[in-house]
Amino acid sequence: MDKFLEGMAEILEISPLDVTPELDLTQQAWDSLAVVSAIALIDECFGVTVDGAALAKCESVKQVQDLVSAKIGK
Amino acid sequence: MNSKISAISSFLPENRLSNEDLAALFDDWSAEKIFKKTGIRERAIASADQTAGDLAASAAEKLFSEHSIAPESIDFLIFCTQSPDYFLPTTACVIHRRLGLRSNAGAIDVNQGCSGFVYSLSLAKGLIASGSASRVLILTADTYSKYIHPRDKSVRTLFGDAGAAVVVDAAAAESASRIGSFVFGTDGAGACNLIVPTGGARQGRSAASAVEMEDQSGNIRTGDNLYMNGSEIMSFTLGTVPAAIRQLEGVTGTSLDACDYVVMHQANAFMLEALRKKLAVPPERFPLRLEQFGNTVSSTIPLVLEPLVREQGGSGKLAVLVGFGVGYSWAACHVWL
Repeated sequence: MDKFLEGMAEILEISPLDVTPELDLTQQAWDSLAVVSAIALIDECFGVTVDGAALAKCESVKQVQDLVSAKIGK
Repeated sequence: MNSKISAISSFLPENRLSNEDLAALFDDWSAEKIFKKTGIRERAIASADQTAGDLAASAAEKLFSEHSIAPESIDFLIFCTQSPDYFLPTTACVIHRRLGLRSNAGAIDVNQGCSGFVYSLSLAKGLIASGSASRVLILTADTYSKYIHPRDKSVRTLFGDAGAAVVVDAAAAESASRIGSFVFGTDGAGACNLIVPTGGARQGRSAASAVEMEDQSGNIRTGDNLYMNGSEIMSFTLGTVPAAIRQLEGVTGTSLDACDYVVMHQANAFMLEALRKKLAVPPERFPLRLEQFGNTVSSTIPLVLEPLVREQGGSGKLAVLVGFGVGYSWAACHVWL
C-alpha cells in the first residue's frame, strides 16, 4: 500500500505525507492525466486494471482504494 | 522465400508544434510539465496543403536517394494510412505515379493506425513468401493533426505527423536479416475509444456534428474531430501488450529476454515506461524515439527502427516489434536486423 500512496503523491504532485485515505481528490489535480497515471500505478502495484470512468469519479483516496479492493476481490 | 527489411527512411513536415506553443494555449500546463508527462518536446505538423500522401511520397524519394534504390525495382507498394488523399481512388495509385514505379507494380492502401506498420510488414512478407513480389515498398504516413481540434489538449500534445518508407526484400535462406513470425489481435469493442466519428459512411458531417463541446477536462472538440479516451486506451494497453508478447513467445519459442530490442509503438513516454517496467525490460533494450516527433501513428515503429537498421542492419540482432492502439488493433513480430 505504501508504494501506491507514494505513487499517488507523485501523480498529484504533493507530499507523500499528505496522501491519506481521507485526502479530498476534488481539491487536487485529479485530472484526466492523473487518472491515466493512476491506472498504470494500480496495475503496477496490484496487478489489476480499474475502470477509468469510475476512477475519475472518485472523490477521496479511500474511494480509489475501495475500487481497487473490489477489483482484486472479484 | 524469406524476407528482410533492407532500408528505412523517414520524412517530417517542416512546421513544428513545441511544448512552448502548447503551454501558451493551455495555461495550466507548462512546457516542462508537458515534457515530463508525455516525453515529447515537439511535433512535426503538416502544412495545410500537405497530405499524408505527400509525406509518404517524400519519404520514398528520400529512401531512393539515401539508399540508392531504383523506383523501377519496386514490385509492390503498400501505403498504410488513416488520412488518405481521397475516399477513392487509392492514394497508393497516386503515389505510384509520382514515384515513377513500374506499371506492373501493385499498389494498395491499408487503413490501419498504430498497429499498421506491423500489419503492413506481415502483408509484405506474405507477398514475398508466395513469390508474388521480390521487393515491397511499405509507406506509412498520417496527418492526425488535421483531425485534431486546436483546443483539445488531450490529443494535441501527443500526436505528430510524419511519413516513413521501408523496403522489404526477398532474403536468402542464410540471411542474418529476416522477418520472423507474427501474432495479431483485434477488439472492435474499443472502436469508440479512439475515433473520428463523422465523415465516413456510418455518420456524415452535419451542422450538428460541427458544434464545439467542452469535456470534463476542459478539452474542446466537435463531433468531426479526433476523440481519444486516454484511460480506456491505457487499460487496454496494459492488458493487451504483455499478452501479445507472451503469445509471440509461445509461437516462436523465443522469450522476450532473448530479444536485443523491444520496439513498441511510441504512443507516449508515460505509457511506454509503464510497459517497460511491467515487462521488466532494461532501458538499453527499449529504444524510444518520440521526443522530437510525438505519436506519429503507424510511422512510430519505422522511426525507431531507422537508426537501428542504418547502424546494425545485417547484424542479425533480434527486435520484437509491437504495434497497438486504434481499432482496437494490435500485432507483434520478430525482425532480425
